[in-house]
Amino acid sequence: MTVNELFAKLHEVPADPKAQMDRYLAEGKKIVLCAPVYTPEEIIHAMGFVPMGAWGADTELRRAKEYCPAFLCSIVQSILELGINGMYDGASAIVIPSLCDTLKTLGENWKYAVPSIPFIPMTYPQNRKPAYGVAFTKAGYERVIRDLEKLGGTFSDEKLAASNAVYNRHNAAMRKLEQVLAKHPEVTACQRSDAFKSAFFLTKEEHTALIEELTAALEQQTPGTEKTPILLSGILADAPAFNAILDEMGLHIVADDVAAQSRQYQTDVPESGDALTALAEKFANMDNCSVLYNAAKPRVKWIVDTAKARGAKGVLVALTKFCDPEEFDYVMIKKACESAGIPITVVEIDRQMVQFEQARTNIETFRDMLNM
Amino acid sequence: MAEEVKKAPRPVDPNSAKYKLGKIAADAFADAIEAKKKGIPVAWVSSNFPVEIPETLGIATVYPENQAAGIAARGAGERMCNVAEAEGYSNDICAYARISLAYAKLKSCPEQDVAMPDVVLCCNNICNCMIKWYENLAQELNIPMIMLDIPFNPDYDVSDAQVQYVSAQFWDAVHQLEQLFGLKWDDDKFEEVTGFSCRASRAWLAATGCAKYVPSPFNGFDLLNHMAVMVTARGKECSGDAMETLYKEYMENHKNGTSTFRTEEKYRILFEGIACWPYLRATSTGLKSRGINMVTTIYADAFGYDYDSFEGMIKAYCSVPNAINLEKSRDKRIKLCQDNHVEGMLIHTNRSCKLWSGFMYEMGRQVGKACDIPVASFDGDQADPRNFSEAQYDTRVQGLMEIMEANKEQKGAN
Ligand code: SF4
Ligand code: SF4
Repeated sequence: MTVNELFAKLHEVPADPKAQMDRYLAEGKKIVLCAPVYTPEEIIHAMGFVPMGAWGADTELRRAKEYCPAFLCSIVQSILELGINGMYDGASAIVIPSLCDTLKTLGENWKYAVPSIPFIPMTYPQNRKPAYGVAFTKAGYERVIRDLEKLGGTFSDEKLAASNAVYNRHNAAMRKLEQVLAKHPEVTACQRSDAFKSAFFLTKEEHTALIEELTAALEQQTPGTEKTPILLSGILADAPAFNAILDEMGLHIVADDVAAQSRQYQTDVPESGDALTALAEKFANMDNCSVLYNAAKPRVKWIVDTAKARGAKGVLVALTKFCDPEEFDYVMIKKACESAGIPITVVEIDRQMVQFEQARTNIETFRDMLNM
Repeated sequence: MAEEVKKAPRPVDPNSAKYKLGKIAADAFADAIEAKKKGIPVAWVSSNFPVEIPETLGIATVYPENQAAGIAARGAGERMCNVAEAEGYSNDICAYARISLAYAKLKSCPEQDVAMPDVVLCCNNICNCMIKWYENLAQELNIPMIMLDIPFNPDYDVSDAQVQYVSAQFWDAVHQLEQLFGLKWDDDKFEEVTGFSCRASRAWLAATGCAKYVPSPFNGFDLLNHMAVMVTARGKECSGDAMETLYKEYMENHKNGTSTFRTEEKYRILFEGIACWPYLRATSTGLKSRGINMVTTIYADAFGYDYDSFEGMIKAYCSVPNAINLEKSRDKRIKLCQDNHVEGMLIHTNRSCKLWSGFMYEMGRQVGKACDIPVASFDGDQADPRNFSEAQYDTRVQGLMEIMEANKEQKGAN
């Protein structure tokens, strides 16, 4: 396929996740929903289910309001809304890690709001690096395994080892794509977003194949003229209207620290020991994220260093409204960028946004500043 | 001069619980300031961090949540929040955190000064917001952070894996502090501290348990103040004594038919959530003027750190209100309602606290149904005065009262 055909394919899937889910169900596959973030997809995959990302959608909140006060982030609220409205019907379960306070409440509400889809909690440690932390991560995984066994899944270490390899390959493919995209300003922000977002709704095997093909095709393509290079940071940046503004403003994302995009692909499962321990070690090795404790806050430095290394002229923070982990980090990121002389601006976004005028004005001012 | 004509405050009997508890709470701040001068290490500590650690090691403690509550109650919440917001902190962030981060910048706030820390001791059994807040404190103040992670427990009981994980961290935290400040852990001291903590906790449970009497021998708003001692000083010897005095006083009130709720108690409610510190008077008067006594809150249960083994202690820290699932949280409230003859539930939907408020609608419905009581909620914030409307509060409380009234009439008719 050509670059454009591949992007068209990658656009189709996130444009209608429900259709994709129904296709898999019709093929007799069982689906397990994966709420953000760092759901152990490898385990779900190894046990014979298709893991599907559940990060909510740009939708009006109605029924979710019966459960959530207005000051919970729209990602969590819209996951609940979709669940109540039957958009996830047919899924065998939802796995929800509780890495932020709002996610803790999602699981509790889910049990009563969407009783037809079992809730499987994944409890991660914050002190994940010492041996006792790895042991606790493993215990959390074992809990998920037990719950999935009740739903007909079967676990074996060999199968997990194979799935770990599938996911490592996907990680590598996404990292490679991300590097290549940094050199191709002609790829739009909308297309870039599709490439990442489609990963939530396709099997990793299918997605890896598409991404590897895309990367290879892009490498053959002569890069367009450079636009204004930026680093994009945040939890989620998939709103088409938001990406359209980036494109309209001639901004080129040369690196991202977006949880739903590159942030999740930084760490691979190590190849040592048994597969489950190795997976727990992957979690131990993860960092550079607002919901993973680290008193040294390496994420802040990572953003500054990456922005410099990739030649980004500025950092654009797409802040998901009411996301307190990101709101805390933002202050430290802002200070670090300012002292490194990297312009930074913040745009608040949420999943109910219909008016993007404020965002457009902010981004326009930011663009003008970068091009001064 | 204005001061001279001011009425002298009613003297408080130095043997009263009120005096003792007030003194302990005030001394907690002063002691840390003194300790700092003497070169004793000072820690800023999360309210539900195992106090047994700093108490045993002899580290002076400051509880930023307690400080923020004091600042908010004295009317400086908004001013401090504005300082944090000017730094770039969103006004969606917990107001305690905003106030504390503002203090870290200013290092002064006449409404409640504290000693600056040499280390921060963070425990996230009440929220993960705490992690982010303390990470930023550690960075801004360039001091070490000790993190004791107690994850939210989605199950009813505490698992062995969780006990092992938290126990390992407990000792890890001890060792880190020993190394940082050249201190030495002393098992005998530890035993003494746990003894104090359990004694204070038992007396607290007994005192708050006096709400079972009708009328209640106390106004539940008392608990919001006395709670400060359970947060900041439960590991100190004097706290047990003061709490026992409180219990005795409540029992005497009961015997004498008196109460610190100084009006006729017509209705009894469970108040859910943190107090609205900037509007303590308004929220209290709104109830009292209608004869509504908030006889109980989850705090009555929250500081019941009574345990008889190390594992018991760990489990207690794993079972604080914000660390437990909906069913366990619900059942605790149901028990409080049943034990204390509660007739209605008033929920503070606290904009600062995503975790506490995040599944409260559903829990409120379940508690209401199980206890057959009306449930009302109002919007507020524990420390940012901009998120509360007196008019809304009044309407909601009035609505709650009317249903309680109708229920009473119905019961009377049967
Ligand atoms: S967007 Fe932020 S608040 Fe919402 S679920 Fe993700 S980390 Fe939590
Ligand atoms: S009010 Fe809530 S968010 Fe704030 S410190 Fe307390 S538990 Fe955490």
